[in-house]
Amino acid sequence: MKNCNSENNEFDVIIIGGGITGAGTARDCALRGMKVLLVERFDFAAGATGRNHGLLHSGARYAVTDKESATECIKENMILRKIAKHCVEENDGLFISLPEDDINFQSKFVESCQAAGINAQIIDPAEARRIEPSVNSTLIGAVKVPDGSVDPFRLTLANIIDAKANGAKVLVYHEVVELIKEQGRIIGVTVVNHKTQENNKYYAPLTINAAGIWGHRIAEMAGAKIGMFPAKGSLLIFGHRVNNIVLNRCRKPADADILVPGDTICLIGTTSSHVGFDEVDNMRVTSEEVDLLLREGQKLAPALATTRILRAYAGVRPLVAADNDPSGRNISRGIVLLDHETRDGIPGFATITGGKLMTYRLMAEWATDLACKKLGIDKPCVTMTEALPGSREEEPMPKGKTYDLSNRIKRSTVGRHGDMASKIASDNEFDNSLVCECEDVSVGEVQYALKELDVHNMEDLRHRTRVGMGTCQGELCACRAAGLLSEAHNCAHQAKADLAKFLNERWKGMYPVAWGEALRESEYTQWVYSGICGMNKMEEK
Amino acid sequence: MKFDTVIIGGGLAGLACGIRLQNRGFKCAIVSAGQSALHFSSGSFDLLNELPDGTAVANPEKAIHLLDKKHPYAKIGDKFPVYTQEAKQLLLDAGIEVQGDSKRNSYRITPMGTTMPTWLTLTDFTTLETPNEVIGKKILLVNIAGFLDFNTKFVADAFETNGAECKIISVSLPEFEKLRQSPTEMRSANIARVLENENTLNALVAKLKEASKSFDTVALPAVFGLSSNDPVKKIKQLLDIPVHIIPTMPPSVAGIRTQKRLRRVFELAGGFYMLGDSVVNAEIGDGKIYNVYTVNHGDIALYADNFILASGSFFSNGLCASMDGVTEPVFGADVDFDPNRNTWYNASVFGAQRYRTFGVATDDQFRIKINGKVQDNVYAIGSVLSGFDALQEGCGAGVSLLTALYVADHLKK
Amino acid sequence: MNMQQYNISDNNFEQCIKCTVCTVYCPVVPVNPNYPGPKQAGPDGERLRLKRGEFFDEALKYCLNCKRCEVACPSNVRIGDIIQLARIKYSKSKPSLRDMILANTDIVGTMSSTFAPIVNTTVALKPVKKVMDSVLKIDQHRTFPKYAGQTFVSWFKKEAQAKQDLFPKHISFFHGCYINYNYPQLGKDLVKVLNAIGYGVHLLEKEKCCGVALISNGLINQAKKQAKININSIRKSINEEKRPVIAASSTCTFTIRDEYPHLLEIENDDVRNSIELATRFIYRLIESGKVKLKFRDAAPVKVAYHTPCHMEKLGWGYYSIELLRHIPNVELVVLDSQCCGIGGTYGFKKENYKTSQGIGASLFRQIETVDPQFVATDCETCKWQIEMSTPYKVKHPISILAEYIDVEKTINLNK
Repeated sequence: MKNCNSENNEFDVIIIGGGITGAGTARDCALRGMKVLLVERFDFAAGATGRNHGLLHSGARYAVTDKESATECIKENMILRKIAKHCVEENDGLFISLPEDDINFQSKFVESCQAAGINAQIIDPAEARRIEPSVNSTLIGAVKVPDGSVDPFRLTLANIIDAKANGAKVLVYHEVVELIKEQGRIIGVTVVNHKTQENNKYYAPLTINAAGIWGHRIAEMAGAKIGMFPAKGSLLIFGHRVNNIVLNRCRKPADADILVPGDTICLIGTTSSHVGFDEVDNMRVTSEEVDLLLREGQKLAPALATTRILRAYAGVRPLVAADNDPSGRNISRGIVLLDHETRDGIPGFATITGGKLMTYRLMAEWATDLACKKLGIDKPCVTMTEALPGSREEEPMPKGKTYDLSNRIKRSTVGRHGDMASKIASDNEFDNSLVCECEDVSVGEVQYALKELDVHNMEDLRHRTRVGMGTCQGELCACRAAGLLSEAHNCAHQAKADLAKFLNERWKGMYPVAWGEALRESEYTQWVYSGICGMNKMEEK
Repeated sequence: MKFDTVIIGGGLAGLACGIRLQNRGFKCAIVSAGQSALHFSSGSFDLLNELPDGTAVANPEKAIHLLDKKHPYAKIGDKFPVYTQEAKQLLLDAGIEVQGDSKRNSYRITPMGTTMPTWLTLTDFTTLETPNEVIGKKILLVNIAGFLDFNTKFVADAFETNGAECKIISVSLPEFEKLRQSPTEMRSANIARVLENENTLNALVAKLKEASKSFDTVALPAVFGLSSNDPVKKIKQLLDIPVHIIPTMPPSVAGIRTQKRLRRVFELAGGFYMLGDSVVNAEIGDGKIYNVYTVNHGDIALYADNFILASGSFFSNGLCASMDGVTEPVFGADVDFDPNRNTWYNASVFGAQRYRTFGVATDDQFRIKINGKVQDNVYAIGSVLSGFDALQEGCGAGVSLLTALYVADHLKK
Repeated sequence: MNMQQYNISDNNFEQCIKCTVCTVYCPVVPVNPNYPGPKQAGPDGERLRLKRGEFFDEALKYCLNCKRCEVACPSNVRIGDIIQLARIKYSKSKPSLRDMILANTDIVGTMSSTFAPIVNTTVALKPVKKVMDSVLKIDQHRTFPKYAGQTFVSWFKKEAQAKQDLFPKHISFFHGCYINYNYPQLGKDLVKVLNAIGYGVHLLEKEKCCGVALISNGLINQAKKQAKININSIRKSINEEKRPVIAASSTCTFTIRDEYPHLLEIENDDVRNSIELATRFIYRLIESGKVKLKFRDAAPVKVAYHTPCHMEKLGWGYYSIELLRHIPNVELVVLDSQCCGIGGTYGFKKENYKTSQGIGASLFRQIETVDPQFVATDCETCKWQIEMSTPYKVKHPISILAEYIDVEKTINLNK
């Protein structure tokens, strides 16, 4: 029946999309014994997964408007704290009422939280100011909830690592150009390798579309139509952690009302606007959005008005209209699992979409349950208890007095890689030299990422290690990292081109906020790379 | 305190101006808020590489009449060739050995191994006649082990593209071990400091001699000569084959030396250099400025007949950008800029950037304006000026040096 | 709402744009690889410490607090303050007995002065030095400054105080520990010069050690206590008695003016402008024409001026240099401004000895090249270090002034 010539091309399930949903689904399927192929056109977490708040929702935000989402969130929140502890910071969250807010909303909010199983406690404004000194001191009410933060890059990577450990094949920089149809059934995919431009065909009885907003086009390839709407959300990243507890407004969800601390920074978001499908690959943050984020952000934490902004970025949420509402007025933020066999009469194809970063595991579980049913596999889901790699062992943090910087670097790597940090070489001075001085990324860590974590370019490296994510946005470290990349891939020409691309990508996020210190930093970076290094002329050649 | 001239900013422009004035009997003070951008110098001084429209310039002297009248060079006008000669001479007199010609751009080698047009280059470095010239056929490319700010592979890639054959080695010396223990401090200037020791330099030379036997050329990172260029000369003299020094990522050892040298010359001529201080206030009235107050000197004002603003661009805080405007923080001088932030940037980081053309508005003698009124005794020089994009046009050092000399010549005592 | 402030950070460490200039001018970096360097210890580290306090590194104690990084920084980042504040906020290490001894300059000074002959001989004895070296970890190469038998204060009260009220104008003198216990002669010189130009010199109601050594040894609470006492006395002098406060030591002056508000949270805005160095005070009087100095004929001397780190930070080298240039027989050479390596009590600690001498080496070389008759500087610990490390004597500008001033003529000139 199949026209393939090697069983290397045959799988039980093909998953399209290397975001958190695809990664989680690949892991779940692999854990349940399926032969899995995951294809991603760029890098892991390159879409909406890596372009949001990184908020470990307690569900409180949805408690009043969407009880189902709220309940899912709190359940998943508690699971992630256990299975992905190296990706999670248990910061807690505050929902604050400001003088302009209706304080009566607070009791309704707390009631709804409790109904959804979220431990929400009203605390005294004075207590709120004590536990989170950055909070707007004029607050008139505060509710404490178990919010937190989660690093989406780490979470996606941990799922990928475990999927691979359980036999999954993962192809990054491979884009699906065609769904192979035979007698109305989807039997596989044709992918183009972006590196070699070669086309390859892969086959499986089931293909799962987990491509987020880009899944709209994938479904179209299969001949199915999904009522998806791209919703753009813009965010600002600040130079350091202003707050240590997540700050929200205690009111109906609105623009720019969440301030999340994560790793070395904090970020405010989001705006929300519908955009066309033609824009989803090239999101730009407008100056109006920047102004709005700043205006609203400083209501949560007034210090934001005088905190350095590192960059602005935007992601696209895939909003899905209910099937009985093609107009899109009745948008669901819940999980959407579409079995296209029953829905559209297209066997061998399913779509998992909607949902949130928070509920990725549940989405994966639903999708995998469907795959099991289709493939006749009877194995229970274990992802709610099985810890992810990185979160399995007690983190080997250096103890006691730290008299040398290498201990501090170790703390940083353990923070990023959990128990996998033991794989990072720190034996000699070279291993311990810092590539990225803002984020404490050592040569050893970069080399580990280059060797073991599917790093193809500087952007990938940034996602794995935080190289270039600090204050200088690559000014000092990008060239060093590119040097190590050229060593590892033995291609200096490519690495130089990649360095230029990386600097351009950093600038894209910087220029919407390039005044004050950010402009000084930008001018200096341009001075170094154009003025001294002459990279402005290299691009032309 | 009473001076003839107070210069605000102690970088290339401020120092060049200060030296010229001091030599002509003006008593000068330079107030410098920290070290200058010379610390990130490429080792070369650009005059004019490109017109604003992107046309390449081979002979800067011939090209300046094509510049807009707002360009600082347009204000210098016919005296341009005179000042390029004098600027070069000023550097040479200061013991800063440079080579280059204002009638013909030469090419410098970048840390990426590529070439860029330029005017004057410190003799540490190599200048080429054409952009694709090779420095050797069989090149030994050397790095100091553990030094991350010099990328031999990138350099080799560029050299090989032009037909050279390269071998990369890295050299360790026990004297570097202490530095290497620190995860961050294996930086160019710190390495240069270690190599100030003659024995260490000799040990390095011995290693290089051994390693370079079958090569016709050696290329090394610019980690020599923090206080004088003797180590560079020595290494070139002791090796039997040509030695080429390639610039590194910042900090720039040769740039730091240039800064130190210029400051020393200024001080030896009797000037006073106040490092780490900033002007906070000025008494202004009647189209002139009477004095300035600084952070350090508090209520003791600095009086002068003339004031020169050489405070640099955004990087040096000579210009301050906010969300909706650009200001000059010392005197509140009028600034040429576009209030619409959306027009400031080019989406390509390597493209011409409009924000870089913003700067202090001046009359045809480089006198600043405050609220539209020209200030009789206040001049602006160097990167703080408006009307040019130093990076795209490749004219930053030239504007600094030439405007400095031009203004120094026009000061009345 | 001031939109202009956005992205212009109040958080001083965020003004850092990672240019690395500070690392070029840090005197410790080239000689001590255990010190993370000003960029890492300062703004880079601060960002990580704000993430979690456990990113604090005890190696920050190797910072000399010379502030040369701050002087070099083109972005106005208060790197030295960031480092010292981090030590205050996060350090868990308790000061050792040795550090307590070194830090408590005035208590130890009181005891030592009383028993000066015994202490001076005792600490100079080789076996005693060995014990200090191995038990207390005070480096045996160090010579403790000698303790004078009579403190400046007791001399002043006995010999000088009575006539001070007779002068038309008055100042209060913050003498500091060094003048009081180790080198009363400088205090006497200052009284001589100021009296000659018509100023009566007075002690503060209460004076404690400025606290610089307490701060660098982590004894913050004690430093705060002493700072409060000093600031209260200074306020009384300035506001009630209308006497500005002057000091001879650049470090004491810098500490009271800048470290009190920046590190100890002791506000001094109201009096800060009236606390200054003796050389600046005299320069100001000369420049404004209020005072004239007359010097006696003397043989020409070649003097090399060394700018102490805190003088560099104050930016006041100008005043001392101009004042010395005022003396007709002085041929002044200004040395490159660089750290001598002592860093107050830093260089006395066994673990820092090598670092300390390594830092100073370049300065010592330059002094030997210049080969002056003596070196001039405004800092007492620089004086120890240079005298310990070179064959040259070191004098304070005020002492040099006192040496060459013609008191009679100056008094007449200013009548």
